[in-house]
Amino acid sequence: MQEAIPFRTYIPATATAGDNRRFPQLGGTATGVGNLLVLANGENYVQKLVLENSVIVFGKRGCCMCHVVKKLLLGLGVNPTVFEVDEKEEAAVMNELSNINGGKIGGEVQFPVVFVGGKLFGGLERVMATHISGELVPILKDAGALWL
Amino acid sequence: MNSSSTQFVASGRMGMYEPIHQIGMWGENFKSNGISNASASIFIAGNLNSSQSILMAADTKLDNQSEDTSQGTLGPSSKYDLEASKPMDKVQRRLAQNREAARKSRLRKKAYVKQLESSCLKLIQLEQELERARHQGLYIGGAETSQMGFAGQIISGIATFEMEYGRWLEEQNKHIRNLRNAINTHLSDIELGVLVENGINHYSELFRMKAIAAKADVFYLMSGMWKSSAERFFLWIGGFRPSELLQVLKPQIEPLTDQQLLDVCNLKQSCQQAEDALSQGMEKLQQTLAETVAAGRLCEASHMPQMDTAMEKLEGLVRFVQQADHLRQITLQQMSLILTIRQAARGLLALGEYFERLRALSSLWVTSSREPA
Repeated sequence: MQEAIPFRTYIPATATAGDNRRFPQLGGTATGVGNLLVLANGENYVQKLVLENSVIVFGKRGCCMCHVVKKLLLGLGVNPTVFEVDEKEEAAVMNELSNINGGKIGGEVQFPVVFVGGKLFGGLERVMATHISGELVPILKDAGALWL
Repeated sequence: MNSSSTQFVASGRMGMYEPIHQIGMWGENFKSNGISNASASIFIAGNLNSSQSILMAADTKLDNQSEDTSQGTLGPSSKYDLEASKPMDKVQRRLAQNREAARKSRLRKKAYVKQLESSCLKLIQLEQELERARHQGLYIGGAETSQMGFAGQIISGIATFEMEYGRWLEEQNKHIRNLRNAINTHLSDIELGVLVENGINHYSELFRMKAIAAKADVFYLMSGMWKSSAERFFLWIGGFRPSELLQVLKPQIEPLTDQQLLDVCNLKQSCQQAEDALSQGMEKLQQTLAETVAAGRLCEASHMPQMDTAMEKLEGLVRFVQQADHLRQITLQQMSLILTIRQAARGLLALGEYFERLRALSSLWVTSSREPA
């Protein structure tokens, strides 16, 4: 189900190669120029990302924890979309994300934050905890992020 | 039985409880000797302030007895002279038994006093250490704050952690002993379950302490200087590797059911994956920090351009230690879910023993390496 590419300038987020196939096809991995992402494309951009990707990780640019989440998911055979947030738009993105979740993200949640199946999943701790307890893989499969 | 005088002196040093204990025991001796219960109970019920005089009285009673026995007669039994031989034997036997019991009682008392004294010494030592640490922390934090500032807080934070860790180790030994006793004496599952929970909670306590220390000085924690040298050899992000732990545990908790084997295998794999992810994150941190430090012109002695970026990266280390400890904790918890209570108890015991052996190895190493080649 390919969405028509909108006429506005579309600047993609930095994403891992071999993306989730529902993400709009665009060549190369252009580094997102931070402050245009959310503001220029309207508030729905972040929401769109969340809904269009079975697994998406929002992390601060250069954050090593984000790297940890990414590596863990990759190791499981998942291809997570990673959205690297610039320092300047941290607050904006976090705000957006909490709106998506119905305002349920409190001050406790910090980057990196993971969305699975369009819903807020949690941070690194939740990923680790569910992975160790064996719950993560079924959840990922349900969301279509993993095929056997 | 003429050591009664030394007994008196010793018990005088000991404080209030011993006299009651001793009086009670001696009271029973008197009863078995056939002296009327009335007089025995007077000794037992004697009040504490006059405990010394009561003991004196008890001593004299004993002295009288020994005199009697040395003469071979005892008051109440004198009316049985006609059947002298039988009751005399019985009486002699009873006397001998009493002597034995009294002797054992004196030995026990000596051992108890020794234990009390050594505990007392230990307590004094600990208090002194505590005072010293407090003084150091306070002194540095207070008087030197103007010069050392934040460093003062770091030092006192570390000093606090080291002290608490020392106490944690002692508590840990207690937990291990309890577990061993419980397993050997075949306690019920309910009681074992309590011990298992306490054991796991104790590890959680350690992780809590480490979290606080990490905020004070994460490098200290990462260096593992607070652990023994052999433990430090296996260090991974400020502690033990969860996957190695499972490796150590597995042979100790067998036999496992098929389902358990599967679960343990899965846990091991998940653990390894989580560890790898964290390790890769650490590598990336090192890499980016190196890049940040090396940025700009190294050949000219210039300031590091992105000092605050570098500082931020260092602060990222705190999160790594937190996540590593979190992984250790959830691995332990998951393991306890997979295993039966009895297996979990054995597992915890094995784990504790393993680390204890590493610590013993370290001590041995330290002492042996001091000997000339």
